[in-house]
This record gives sequence, structure tokens and C-alpha cells, in this order.
Amino acid sequence: MKVDESPTIASLFEEIKSQADSHWQELFDSGQPVIVVGTATCGRAAGALDVLKAIRDELERQGVDCPVFEAGCLGHCYAEPLVIIGKPGYPPICYGYVNPVIAERLVKEFVVGDNPCLEFVLGALEANDLVPSFADFPRATYEKKIVLRNCGHIDPTDINHYIANGGYVTLSKALQMSPEEIITEIKDSGLKGRGGAGFSTGQKWEICRNTPGRPKYAICNADEGDPGAFMDRAILESDPHSVIEGLIITAYAVGVRNGYIYVRAEYPLAVERVRIALRQAKKLNLLGRRILGSDFSFDIRLFEGSGAFVCGEETALIASLEGKAGMPRHRPPYPPTSGLYGKPTVVNNVKTLASVPQILTNGAAWFASIGTEKSKGTAVFALAGKIVNTGLVEVPMGTTLRQVIFDVGSGIPNGKRFKAVQIGGPSGGCLPESALDLPIDFDSLTEAGAMMGSGGMVVLDEDDCMVEIARYFLEFTQRESCGKCTFCRLGTKQMLALLSDITLGEGTQADIDILKALARDVKTGSLCSLGKTAPNPVLTTLRYFEGEYQAHITEGRCPALMCQHLIAYYILPNKCERSCDACVGTCTVEAISPNKKRIKVIDQEKCVKCNTCLMACPPQYNAIVKLSPPSEVPAAEK
Amino acid sequence: MNPKAKTVTQNNTGEEVSAEKEARDRQETLKILKSFGRKRENLIPILQKVQARLGYLPREAMMEIATHLGIPEIDVYGVVTFYNQFRLNPPGKHSIRVCLGTACHMKGGYITLDAWKRRLDINQGETTPDREFDLDTVACVGCCTMAPVTVVDNQPEGKVEPTKVDGILLAFELERGAEGQKTVR
Amino acid sequence: MRTVSLTIDGQQITAREGDNLLWVALDNGIYIPNLCAIRDKSEPMASCRLCFVEVEGKEQPVTACTETVTEGMIVNTRGTRALSLARRSFELLMASHSLDCAHCPKSGSCELQHIARYLGTRLKSKQLRELRRDLPIDDSHPQIIYDPNKCVLCGRCIWTCREHLGVGVLGFAHRGFQRMVTTFEDEPLAISKCDRCVECIGVCPTGALLPRNETKTRVTSES
Repeated sequence: MKVDESPTIASLFEEIKSQADSHWQELFDSGQPVIVVGTATCGRAAGALDVLKAIRDELERQGVDCPVFEAGCLGHCYAEPLVIIGKPGYPPICYGYVNPVIAERLVKEFVVGDNPCLEFVLGALEANDLVPSFADFPRATYEKKIVLRNCGHIDPTDINHYIANGGYVTLSKALQMSPEEIITEIKDSGLKGRGGAGFSTGQKWEICRNTPGRPKYAICNADEGDPGAFMDRAILESDPHSVIEGLIITAYAVGVRNGYIYVRAEYPLAVERVRIALRQAKKLNLLGRRILGSDFSFDIRLFEGSGAFVCGEETALIASLEGKAGMPRHRPPYPPTSGLYGKPTVVNNVKTLASVPQILTNGAAWFASIGTEKSKGTAVFALAGKIVNTGLVEVPMGTTLRQVIFDVGSGIPNGKRFKAVQIGGPSGGCLPESALDLPIDFDSLTEAGAMMGSGGMVVLDEDDCMVEIARYFLEFTQRESCGKCTFCRLGTKQMLALLSDITLGEGTQADIDILKALARDVKTGSLCSLGKTAPNPVLTTLRYFEGEYQAHITEGRCPALMCQHLIAYYILPNKCERSCDACVGTCTVEAISPNKKRIKVIDQEKCVKCNTCLMACPPQYNAIVKLSPPSEVPAAEK
Repeated sequence: MNPKAKTVTQNNTGEEVSAEKEARDRQETLKILKSFGRKRENLIPILQKVQARLGYLPREAMMEIATHLGIPEIDVYGVVTFYNQFRLNPPGKHSIRVCLGTACHMKGGYITLDAWKRRLDINQGETTPDREFDLDTVACVGCCTMAPVTVVDNQPEGKVEPTKVDGILLAFELERGAEGQKTVR
Repeated sequence: MRTVSLTIDGQQITAREGDNLLWVALDNGIYIPNLCAIRDKSEPMASCRLCFVEVEGKEQPVTACTETVTEGMIVNTRGTRALSLARRSFELLMASHSLDCAHCPKSGSCELQHIARYLGTRLKSKQLRELRRDLPIDDSHPQIIYDPNKCVLCGRCIWTCREHLGVGVLGFAHRGFQRMVTTFEDEPLAISKCDRCVECIGVCPTGALLPRNETKTRVTSES
């Protein structure tokens, strides 16, 4: 920008900032407790809206008027719904597993009274003498929150919260830098795209900036389609402005006037919160014409996907923006040289963009000091599956899988054994115990046959069948294949047919060989990266768990007791308690009845293997078991 | 409390509605089209808006849209059939979407789907004959920590196992009973 | 216009810079199997995955339709790895093709038969399973019979239909394995806006689009 304009940018922002600060400060100046309820989608699924209502109702009954606001996701999704109460004289305390009854008690006893209800405390947000803080949790040693720093702490629908916590100050500074300076800074930081492929962000920007052709476009790819991944959803729901600020800076650095945020349709709450955020940013002239009085203008359009996994692939996403079916095309040319409408286009992932303001604020050297030699910064993972602390984590690159799963995630629940971790969704793979000490970075994971991917991590235990998970992913890619190229459309279909047969116990040795050959060909022959990576789940499970495939083929047995055709439910007569009817009542198809001795027996013909009886059988009897192959069920029962 | 009487009224209004509805659907579509330019890039937002208003994409609406954008009708159809979210048939009153993300699958989402199919007696992608429920699957709603998840009327419900399927249906049943009483009264 | 010289299968060839490798080869009498390539189309579909070739300096075989010729390029169209990928792709197509050459009027002029001969592979795969969709045959049209089960999704008919009409009756619809060449709402061709130029029949490489009378005569003569 021109030098004589820079004071204007700074002073205009100063004005916005001081208003935001006083707005934020008001929350605490009233002397009243401040109540925060986490209402991101995960919280809602656990009943956070009922908790919110219970709190409001109880406050009204008690005649207390204290600020209550909704925040996003703290990352401790296992303990949802979460409520934070900041009461003067106490550290801000986070309560977990809150339900409406607990919520009422918290209001009565802590907000009105003076009992902090220690029995419901998850942790305090600050160090103190009263209750353990999150910083005291063992996992805190490994975590480093850069992208997630605001998530769960601020109201995502109030731009003032973001600004008061350091938001948009980077933008005001960036507008006073030259675009080249910004690109150099990002390049020096070593930031790589967080969408999975790991290309240098700074380089991408530079190529796009230097490619002739106008207009240019900037796109935020928030079409997070990997099943088992929800980092982008959580960020957009919890701190949308960090992504918007990153996108504005990108646009300024690359020389773009029109941007898009492409959010997938399955994330309605993220869409709503981004829409609100865009409106607020525009109102404060942080977006729109002549941003903060500079001569840089930039507009962002929110584009909702319509449900197609393949649109996460950048060329398919671009086709979708153009109003077409989301079909990938051959690359090169890559979007930075020829993207939307054939114009130079940068496409960046949500987490990449959210990192940008932090890098410019703290400097490239700071970012480059985090992580490993080749992979800089932090990695955000969504932990799900058979793990105690499901939720979001952010750790420096180079942290090992074991640390993330066992130290941050607290390991496997119910005393079960770890079997594998699925990383990178349908493009990634299943890594076994022996890979747990691998450092998390782009290269190590690829070498092990998985992929950094976007950050979904699904932990699998001894009850999970590796053939079934391979089949699941193939079914997914096959269903979501756009159908354009032969290998992906028909190759994955053939592979799925083979895997289905194996899970049904009808596979042969020859099937394994064809499966391997097909996997290899689909990997090399497919048109886009989705097709090229689709065989990864099959290749990794074959590489690390071929024994399980063999058990299905040669013995008709599913070692994990998961494949429904290869198991039967059986009630052990010596363990079944005559006076107990728990299973009979819960059976969803009336397949269980007592015999003459009042021992319960399953009618194998009727049984649909829904697992309900096994869960209903009281733990002191534990009489119901799964057997594989089904021929293990004693003859009289069949 | 005469169930038969209720059915008759429904039928009468039902038929009246269908003729009127077609005209109204057309009006709605044209109104939506007016707010959009004629560029192809508007196709998906238009389809989304029309579906949000009408519940699905009737043949006539797709034809109007093609005319508005000056593109072949088959191109509109091609886009509609490509994306999961567009429907060619009217939806049920309540939508049931069973999440089949990785975490949900591994925690028994497929068993939950079976339970819904069994209880509603329809397959995925279908609507019950009384138009009360439509059942479908969804790739992943990102609520993996609450697996297995079913999205009921756009609200994600966590830990939906076969017994909870029965619970949710029972709640609808009760609601419907209460409504039915109100109508008759 | 600058020219470049390159070598394809040992043959020295001069071409215009920026030209497409597949067309340069074909125009110089070097056959590379292909179905979805359309000369006038600015961007290759690159969907049939048959035109794999090996280019010196590239680690993996590449599709010729997505390569532009460069000075000094050395291309081998008969490399083992390229041919094995092309064979696999062809095999996949055939495993989902309604294979009935004995009764198909296209037999003899069918490009699939031609490609099979070139690749030295059978029409019926030994390894893969038959994955057919069994879609209804559309015989509503007075001049055209459309059998989607024989379609290989090359898109030539769609391109021609648009070029000729400027509007387009045919297009791709549905996704993944369900993807097909079809009309608006999958309606029969007879009630579609087809103007009966029947040029689509001429470009179809397989027996998916056939003239009605020919089908009839053939079937009658054989039965």
C-alpha cells in the first residue's frame, strides 16, 4: 500500500479494536458470572441445546441476569456437552457431561450460591489452587494450539470476540506490507497445505500471483468429506473469522478480488456461522470495498456444496463452482495457473488459512521452529473410534502416533487392545501397532502406506475387522466415485465385489491376487488423486493384516467377530440366569425365548445380529457371546 | 375420534392441493429465478433454493431453470443426479439420515441402518407409503465422537443404537397421536 | 508456428509445438487405442484410460491425450507397463459391457473388437467378474436404438449432438457406476427433443447407438 495511507489503516483498525475490546470487557465488568455453552455440532448431538435452555430457564427462575453465550468446540468432545462458568473470585471452570439437571444445579449452586460443584468439573481454563486446570492434564505436554486457539473460548457469531482476542490485527498489518513480503514470509515459514497433499502454500501463492490472467480467484476448500474427519467443521463452527482473515490475507498477497468459501452441505451449522461471520466482517469494512481504507477490495461468496465427496478434489470443486457436476479433470494445469473459468486460482484448506494470520503475527521463524525439519507447524487431528478422549487435538508435527493415541487420547476404552489406526480417510490407510512410533509428518505417513490426509484419525481395536474396514472404504469410494474414469468407476467396483465376497466368507486365494493387481492398476491408472489413493486402505490392510484376510478365506472365520455373515450370537447355557429376561425383552425381532429350563435360546433363523441382546445381558452373567464361524454354535441350537 | 373421517378429509384436500400445488410450485420457482442472473454458475444455488422451497425438484422446475440459464435440460438433470442432496421425489414429513462415516460404521452404524429399514419397512432412498418418513444415508456429518449418529429432521442424534431407533419412533408416534387428537377435536 | 521434433516408436516426427501427443501419433499413422478423445474439444476428457504410453524421463506411463508434444520427446507406445494399464482398463470396460457380438450389428466395425485385437486381449475377461447393470434398451425412436449396456461413456455422441443442434438432447447423468449417457429425466429418445439427425449413431464406437432398420434386418436374418 502507499505509505501515506498506512496511518489510516492503523487508525481505522484501532477504532474497531477499541470498540471490540470494550464490548468484550463488558462481559466481565458486570461482576456477574459469565456462562459459556459449547454448541458446535458435536455438542448439539450430545444435547447442548437442552442444556442451554435449562440454564436460561433456571437463571430466569432465580431472577439472575448474567451473560450467557454459545461457543464452539473445545476439543474435548468425549465430555460433551461442555459448560464454562467464569465467576469473579474463581478461575473459569469447565464442566463436562452436563445434562439439563446438572445445568440447573450449576446455576443454583455455583452461579447463585457459592459451591463450584467440583464433582462435575472437567478442568479449569487457568492454573489455580482449587481445581486441576487443562494445563495440568498429561495431554497438555503434547498439545500446541495454534489453529484451535480460540475454539470453544469465544462466541463465533460475534466478531468482537475474535477481534478482542487478537483477531484481524494481522490483516491490518498485512495491508501495510507488500504482497511479496507476505509471500516470502509464508514461504519461509515452511507452511504446507493442510488438505492432504502437502504442497508449499507460499509457493502456490507465488505461482498464482505470477501467472498472467485476470481476474484471479481465491477459494477456501471447506468440503471436508473424509468420513471420520471433523477438524474443518469444528474450526468453521468455532472460529470462522480466523479462516476468513486468512483468506483475505491470501487474496491480498496473490492479487485477488473475488473469493469463495466452499462448505459441504452436510455442515449446516458451519454454513450458518460462516454466513454470519462474513456479514459482520463486511459491516466493519474488514471485507468488501477498499478494506480498512486501503485500495484493496475483496469479496467472499459462501458456496454450499450439495453432497459429493469428490468435490474435495480441487478441480472437481472448481467444476462445482462453475455450476457443473463435480468431475475432476486432468492436472496439470494446476489451479494456480488455470483454475476457476480457466483463470489463476489458489485453493487452500481451512486449517492452512487459519494458520496464516498466526504466522504473520509471530513470524516465519516462530512457525518454522515448530515441527520437524521437513514438516513445519502443527497438525490438527480429529480423534474418533475406539479411543477414550474422542475430539480434536493439535500437536506439533513430529509427535508420534503413540503419543497422540495413548497420551493425548488416553488409549483404548473398555480394556480392549489397540489394533490399528486409520489415518487420512478413504485416501489413507490402516497402520498397525508397529507403526505407532512413527513421527507424524507428511513423509513418514506416506512411506508407511497411509497419508497425512486432512487429519481424520479413527482408532480401531481388537473388535474391528480389517477386511471389513477395507471393504467399508472401498464401498465409500465406489459410491462417491464421480464415474468419469474407467479405473475409479469400474476398478473400485471390481475391488468392492472381491472384498464383499471375502467378508461373506466366499473369497478365494485367487481373489487376493486379483485384488492386489487391481489395487496397483487403479493407483497408477486413475485420472484424479481420489482414484489414485482409493486402493490405499486395501493395500495397507493387506500389507499389515494379511492374516485376517486368510482367516476369512480359509476358515470362514472373522477373527474380530465383526463380519455379520461369519458370526452367530449364542447364549452360554451355563452362564444364563434363569430368572433374568433382559435379552428377551430387548431383542428387536423376538428371536430369543426361554427353553424348558428357562435358559434363553436364540432362534438363529430369526436373529438379525443387531447386538442388542449382548449389550442387554447384565455384566454379572455375561452369557451372550459371538461365535465365528457360525458353525461353532452347538448343533441343537441351529 | 373417527380415523376414517380424518382420512377422507385428507384425501379431499390432498387432491385439491396437487392441482393448486403445481401452479404454486411454478410461481415459487419463477420467483426464485428472478433473484438470480442467467449465468451457469448460479445453477447449484438455484437448485438448492428451489428444493428448499418445494422439498424436491419437480420436472417442471428443472425445465424452467434450464430455460432461465439457457442450458440444455439434460445438463440440469445431470447436475441434479450427480449430487447426493438433490431429490426428484417429494420427501417424507420427517427425514431420517443414518450417518455412515468411518467411526459410525465401526461402532455399528450399519446395524442402526438395518434397524431403521426394519422398523420403517423401506430401503434407503425411499419414503414410507404414508409419506411420514424418508430414509437415507449420509456420508459423514462430522459428529464422529457421538457415533453412531442418525440425523433426524436435521438434528444430529448421538449414540443411536437399535433400541434408540425404537425410542425415536415412539416419540414421533406419541407426537402424531397428540396432533391427531387435536385435529379431530 | 514453431515446430518440434519428437520420436514415437523410433519414428522421427515433426509436429507443431503445443499439439496433443495422441493426435500427433494418430495423424502419423501410429495407432494408440482410444475411445473418449475428441479432436475439436479443447480439454481432453481423459476418462477412458486406454491411451497410455511411456515417455522417456517420466516415471509412470501417461495418457497420450493429456500430453503436449515437446522438443526431443521420446515416446514408446508399446511399452509393457503402458500396455498392461491399457489392457486392464479395457478389461474393466468389457467386464461391464453387454457382450453379445454374435447378435450385435456392430460386430466387424466395432472399435472394441479393434482395440482387443490391437492389445492382444480377449473380449471376455478371464479374471474379472461380470458387473452389468442391465438397463432397459430404448427402442422408442423411429431411427435409433439405444442400448446403454453397450455404452463405454466416451461422450462422442453427446459432443456431436451439441455441435449439431446447439442445444443437446444427450448428456451425462447420475454418478459413479450409475453414470450414463441419457436424456432429460431419462425419458425415451422418441419424446425427447431429438431432431433425428442421427449423427450420434455414426460416431458411436460400439453397438450402443444403432440405426433401427439395420438392427431389425440383422436380427431377422439371423433368427
